[in-house]
Amino acid sequence: MNMENTGISKYTISFGLSLALASVMNALLVVAKEKIPTVMAGLKGLTGHHWVSHGVIILVLFAAFGWMFAQANGGLGPRIPVNRLISLLVSGVAAGVLIICGFYLMGG
Amino acid sequence: MAHVFFGVACLVAAVWIFVDVLHASATNQARIRRMSRAAAVVMWLSFLIGGYWYVCFYNADKNIILKGPWPFAHNVFMETKEHLVIMLLLLVTYLPIAASNNLAANREARQVVLWVSGMIALLALLMEGDGAMIAMGVKVALLPK
Repeated sequence: MNMENTGISKYTISFGLSLALASVMNALLVVAKEKIPTVMAGLKGLTGHHWVSHGVIILVLFAAFGWMFAQANGGLGPRIPVNRLISLLVSGVAAGVLIICGFYLMGG
Repeated sequence: MAHVFFGVACLVAAVWIFVDVLHASATNQARIRRMSRAAAVVMWLSFLIGGYWYVCFYNADKNIILKGPWPFAHNVFMETKEHLVIMLLLLVTYLPIAASNNLAANREARQVVLWVSGMIALLALLMEGDGAMIAMGVKVALLPK
């Protein structure tokens, strides 16, 4: 693992960024499937249950983006300060929570 | 309700990790890593058991809730719970990765684990609260009128 730039491994950074992105995408997929019937039907068609498909898609995206980000900079991973990583991580999770809670509190 | 038990175990593990990381040293680093893996395992168990129950059996509860006086127990609490839990799963999966760094020597690595374990504890607590509201939604719907 590369620790020469920030003192934390490239996977900590790449999967941290991926987590922030996947959290927002999770929330956007909630809005999309509740508002667009074809999205809901497509998710149901994938596995038989929209929630199972939803979960699988987000987990696959998390794994895929984490792996892809780790390949940046010739395999050294993204070079960002840890404070920036934490800001993005917390913002992504907070945005996901607020979008989902706000959406259902407003009646879906 | 095995998924509740494993969810609470994840919550306890997250708080344990948070406190242990505040006092991180060479002596407790291995324990922090073990607890991070344990938190991930119990949360995955909770997710799989709860998910199976939700997909196979929740529909009956949902119909009861929607006909009762607390339809928001499903429309708000269950809907948010079933989607926020996916984020909780991402966080616990990430936790062992973050805890694999040298926490004893690296303040920045400790900060990442503190934030992640803190968010896990808060989200797990929210899941427990949501679960309680959903159970109450069923109960009040079954009360004699």
